[in-house]
Amino acid sequence: MSFAIQARDLGVRYSLRFTKKTSIRRSFTRLLKPDRGEKSFWALREVTFTLAPGESLGIIGPNGAGKSTLLQVLAGIIMPSEGVVEVNGHVSTLLHLQAGFDQELSGRENIMLAGALMGIDHRVMEQREESIVDFADIDAFIDAPLRTYSSGMRAKLGFSIATAVDPDILLLDEVLQTGDEAFREKSHKRIGEVLSAAKAVVLVSHDMSWITEFCNRAILLEKGRIVADGNPDEVVALHMEHSEFRKQRYRAVIKAMRSGEIPVTARPKQVIREAERTGRKLPTGSPQGSSKP
Amino acid sequence: MQIATEAPSSFRSSAVRPGAVGLMREALHDVLARRRLIRHLISADIRRKGSDTLLGNVWWVLDPLLQMSVYLILLSVILQRSTPDFPLFLFAAILPWKWFASSINDAVSSVVRQERLIKQVQFPKIVLPVSAVAAEILNLTFGFLIMLGMLVLFFPAHVTLNVAWVPLIALVQFVFTVGLALLVASINVFYRDVGILSGHLIRLWFFLSPTLWSFDSSAGRFGAIEEALGEAGVNILRMNPFAVLLTAYRDAIYGRVNATGDGFTPGQTPDLVALGMLFLFSLGLLVLGTVVFKRVEPAFAKVL
Repeated sequence: MSFAIQARDLGVRYSLRFTKKTSIRRSFTRLLKPDRGEKSFWALREVTFTLAPGESLGIIGPNGAGKSTLLQVLAGIIMPSEGVVEVNGHVSTLLHLQAGFDQELSGRENIMLAGALMGIDHRVMEQREESIVDFADIDAFIDAPLRTYSSGMRAKLGFSIATAVDPDILLLDEVLQTGDEAFREKSHKRIGEVLSAAKAVVLVSHDMSWITEFCNRAILLEKGRIVADGNPDEVVALHMEHSEFRKQRYRAVIKAMRSGEIPVTARPKQVIREAERTGRKLPTGSPQGSSKP
Repeated sequence: MQIATEAPSSFRSSAVRPGAVGLMREALHDVLARRRLIRHLISADIRRKGSDTLLGNVWWVLDPLLQMSVYLILLSVILQRSTPDFPLFLFAAILPWKWFASSINDAVSSVVRQERLIKQVQFPKIVLPVSAVAAEILNLTFGFLIMLGMLVLFFPAHVTLNVAWVPLIALVQFVFTVGLALLVASINVFYRDVGILSGHLIRLWFFLSPTLWSFDSSAGRFGAIEEALGEAGVNILRMNPFAVLLTAYRDAIYGRVNATGDGFTPGQTPDLVALGMLFLFSLGLLVLGTVVFKRVEPAFAKVL
């Protein structure tokens, strides 16, 4: 097999029936009024791509485009609702660096806990322990309970654990810049090392300089679908253009609402969403505003 | 299907849905392969409970004793009950009950409490309720040691070799508890009502189980219960798994209250047929709990 990751027609559907904190009462209400609102939405749809070994893929897109969902599917945290994802190699996810921490355990114990969570053999983890402690550079605190740590120390420890793993495929969410200036410099270098050591990388970031620096391929996601796939510089440029378009249009809609051109039926964002669904024309704010996002 | 983080390669498709047997096998693999993770979670749990208290681990000893004292005062002073060696009578049932109640209590929220983790790391979620229940074993062991000391020092007349049945009864209770814990923990992800409701249901269950009373009509208030519920009602009470369990504990540790109500026969062999049937039922519950948990597990990260 010559690919690291292959996604075919990948779709993830969220059921709105069980969104955050459902209660039996709300379920009953929904039973009585079954047709209120949509029952589900697709966070990802028809996502197809193949990542070859050695490729480093950046995923960009506006908020709510499905970037994090895609990363979660690749990591196996979420099962696809349709389609197939095949991953060829040991995956490490650095989605959030401090997710597995326990406040009562010491730094050292948290290192072992994180290893156990990620399914890394404890003997391997014991070997790596010293280098993790060294890199985190928090001295005597390493044996104190985590609740005594400052947030900076926590971040340093999280970063050290996350990058000490040695995966075939690395999935990164953007929250990597942590700690003070000196540590940030050190961590920037470390990320570069980890990225070049991994067979394949998928990186999600809002920081375009990361995409252009670390990636040799980029995918632009919008509303759960792949809009562009290719050279990072070009994809980033397209993303900038699209977000500029959205910004202009948002301003134009507000302006039109103020002047009474558009009746104020809802908040501007909702009006835009509604118009996109029905295909109604909206002011775009730019004279050549024909480019569709 | 292989487990993503353990296997060098993985294949996930919406079309792959393992059946009940596959889910059971997966669950067993999850728990065995992540023994160490369970151990870490247990030690974190124990440390968390002891960390903000002045007396720390002394509470393991003090807590069951205090609880017993509360009921002792309530029942013997206020309600004027006279069962021979009442402290032991109470302790033999309250201790295992407390084990059950706090296990379920911890397990209900074990999954939703780890919301952040579940969304960020792929790991078998089944370790969460399992370690919540397992963490309570240590408490129980301490409690039983105290009770053993109490038995030998203060109530030597009750001591028989039948105390040796206790670990077996505890095993049946453990299987039952894990099964129920898996069920409530997974349902609570979708309906948080379960977490609120379970506290009250467990309290009700406590009073419907022979903790403060027993099925010996001479012991304490059972006569009144019999009168109120009638024979059919009492038979329903006997179907309660904890009627079997707590009676078995009490038989083995305390013995039975005499027909006259002023004496006792020391430790006895518990009703092994009832215990065996309950064990089979508990295994069934464990299978059901595991299959339900594994079936809905993929949805956790989406729903939380």
